[in-house]
Amino acid sequence: MSATAVERPARVPDGMRRELAGRVGRAAWRAGRAELRKNLANPGGLVVSGLFLLVVAGMLAALWSAAAEANGGAVAGYTAAALVWYVTISEITTISQRMQFIDELGDDIGSGRVETALLRPVPMVVLLWAAQVGGALPRLAACCLGGLPLAAVIAGAPPSWPAAALAIPATLLAVTINITGQHVFAAAAFWLRNARATWFVYQKLVFVLGGMLLPLEVLPDWLESIAQWLPFMAMAYVPARLAAGYVEPELLFVQAFWLVALATIAIIVFARGERRLVEAGA
Amino acid sequence: MATNASPTAGAGPAIVTRDLTRTFTTGRRRERRTVDAVRGISLSIEAGERVAFIGPNGAGKSTSIKMLTGILHPTSGTAQVDGLVPWHDRRRLAGRIGTLFGQRSQLWPELPSRAAYDMLAAVHGIDDRTAAGRVDELGELLGATELFDQPVRTLSLGQRMRCELAAALLHEPGILLLDEPSIGLDLVAKRRFRDLLVSLNRERGTTIFLTSHDVADIEIVADRTIIVNHGRIIVDDTVESLRRTLLASKRIEVGLHHRIDPTCIELLGTTVTEATHTRISLDVDTSATPVRDVIDALLDRLPVADLTVVDPPLEDVIADAYGDSE
Amino acid sequence: MNTLRGLRRTWFGAIANSWANRRSFWSQAAVMILNDLIWVVFWVIFFDRLGEVRGWELRDVLVLQAILATGAGITLGFFNNSRQLGRLIAEGQLDEALALPVPALPYLLVRRIEPINIGDVAFGVAVFAVMGEPTPLRTLAFVAAVAISAITLGAFLVLAGSTAFLGGRSDGSELGFHSVVLFASYPVDVFGGAMKILLFTMIPAGFITAIPTRFVRDLEIELAMAAAGVAILLVALAALAFRAGLRRYTSGALWTAA
Repeated sequence: MSATAVERPARVPDGMRRELAGRVGRAAWRAGRAELRKNLANPGGLVVSGLFLLVVAGMLAALWSAAAEANGGAVAGYTAAALVWYVTISEITTISQRMQFIDELGDDIGSGRVETALLRPVPMVVLLWAAQVGGALPRLAACCLGGLPLAAVIAGAPPSWPAAALAIPATLLAVTINITGQHVFAAAAFWLRNARATWFVYQKLVFVLGGMLLPLEVLPDWLESIAQWLPFMAMAYVPARLAAGYVEPELLFVQAFWLVALATIAIIVFARGERRLVEAGA
Repeated sequence: MATNASPTAGAGPAIVTRDLTRTFTTGRRRERRTVDAVRGISLSIEAGERVAFIGPNGAGKSTSIKMLTGILHPTSGTAQVDGLVPWHDRRRLAGRIGTLFGQRSQLWPELPSRAAYDMLAAVHGIDDRTAAGRVDELGELLGATELFDQPVRTLSLGQRMRCELAAALLHEPGILLLDEPSIGLDLVAKRRFRDLLVSLNRERGTTIFLTSHDVADIEIVADRTIIVNHGRIIVDDTVESLRRTLLASKRIEVGLHHRIDPTCIELLGTTVTEATHTRISLDVDTSATPVRDVIDALLDRLPVADLTVVDPPLEDVIADAYGDSE
Repeated sequence: MNTLRGLRRTWFGAIANSWANRRSFWSQAAVMILNDLIWVVFWVIFFDRLGEVRGWELRDVLVLQAILATGAGITLGFFNNSRQLGRLIAEGQLDEALALPVPALPYLLVRRIEPINIGDVAFGVAVFAVMGEPTPLRTLAFVAAVAISAITLGAFLVLAGSTAFLGGRSDGSELGFHSVVLFASYPVDVFGGAMKILLFTMIPAGFITAIPTRFVRDLEIELAMAAAGVAILLVALAALAFRAGLRRYTSGALWTAA
């Protein structure tokens, strides 16, 4: 071991661990709440999000309705109405994401601003994550306000109310998983200076393999099998499929799995990245 | 060297304004506020003068210079720059005046300044051979010839400002308008920049009109100073006479090794403004006693740990001026 | 004429400036190419499943993407201030252009190059070359279509940007940009009646991609002439709007105290 190696911290006794967890939890809660309030205080931005969703979901709905019509009434088993609900929900879960997050993290790391975050006794990734989740909620609400009436007007009621009920927790899970996934990708900013390219790649993976632009069943079989095994499907496909009327509660378990898996990876990658920053000075 | 003064030199003032006024209304409906940025400014500047337009932030300096360059219409009042009404003939005027605004850049960051000079030569309708000659002259005048070939982003701020100055002078304007040009420059660079403005004026007769909130600009660059506050001119006088009145005061701050009895600092022409056990502040009336003498006396008599000479803050100068003019 | 000479030098200078940092240039262009590629993948999958939708086949949509990428790439890549105009106005950054003896709008337009969009150009040309059946006649049509598309988009962006002269905010400009690009990337026939009217009037996405695409496919000269006419009209409107807006800008009606 070299002389400059970082010493392993001593093992934390259990009682103290509970207290630490409590502290982390509270700090995260506050970070999330602050971001949520900040976004609520900017109604203009929320209106823009809602309108944007309306436009994009409307366009995809038109596209897929035309597709269903050209294909004898259904595509890959989805009726036109189901497709409209599908794309509306898939767009809602993705448009509530904030694109600039990875850029900003990259900037913060490059400029050294991240160092103050490292000085806090709470892991940076937790605070970042909590802030993003809190901030996404108002946007999610705005998108729902825009998108749900649109889908109802174009396609009528959701094809299956039980499935639609499942879609609600699925949507919340999907947004959370997406944010967690972004953190995994954003951690690339610790190594690459320009993380923007990774964001583009990430976004496109969600678009195609996550089922945002099209139901996974539309993909050629080999691609569909791959997509079903990747985490991206939990970010858009799952809630969208439920909204489209397929009562498949097992999908929620898949989401839970990916949430835990991605969170674990994110924590590990951030820890590695932070250590690299501290040791090598980026 | 022949002066390249403006074509209308001798045919009238370089810059003249009468009751120039600019009001802004901000806010919507019920919260409408009116801001009088500039209230009736009248001035007349002859070709070849060096004028400092001094005032604190918000005094109306930038608004005035915007009106003089034609990018803003006044609410009322008239002005002529080089014989043209700026807001009627903005583009024609742009070919006759040079502007250097601290925040704006004419240069491309990745390229050497020469690339921007080529562009500006074309924009101003100067043929390339003439332009090359002028760039060489400017390089000599500003001591910047080697800088012109380096990518702009590799230059220090002071070096960049010299290149920007060359850009502003390429079309040989008779009048140069500068808005806070030395912001962000260190003391050495500021000094050098000011000296350049003076030599530019001496060698070419270029009229210099410079806005600033730095009192040192009065002392080094200008031969005439106009002080504005709250949109109005408070003082319009030569620097010479200002030296005798407003600027005839320096403050010396002395830090001491150990306590002394303050009464022992009786020096002619000084007023003790503050005396704690280890710090003393003195105002020196420089028209009565040179600062140098006071410093020598202090060093002789007191256990001086450190000593600083400062200009009185601009606010004090202006407050005095305001008080005087009322 | 020294205005043209000045504008040409400004444009070349801006290009040289962005070309100077080679690595950054190519990495940005590459990002865009990757981005565009994914859309192609989407359409390939879509039409592989569906064959034809409302008269549009895979080749048509890919030609549309090629025209959009090349045309928008030219406008946004080589004349990027058309997109930034709203922001420049809102932030009072027109002054630099106003201090020179050249017309402000052309100068602003040539002043800024954006490498990321130049990637689009390369991509669009490649897609047309591979998928567009580039016979000599069709290639000529493609060039004309791209020119019309780029000019129409640019003029629309200047119009949208000029809304910032009214309220001092760049929201209209942003909204205009995002919506026109979004609408232009879809085959217009999937939209219903009211929507379609919108796309040929207020947000002229139909003239940016749909008509030029049909022209390249069917080679009917009337289509090109119609689209060119609209382009010219929009240019005139944009110039007028900017000139009127600039008068408002210099009259100080926009600002709070400087």
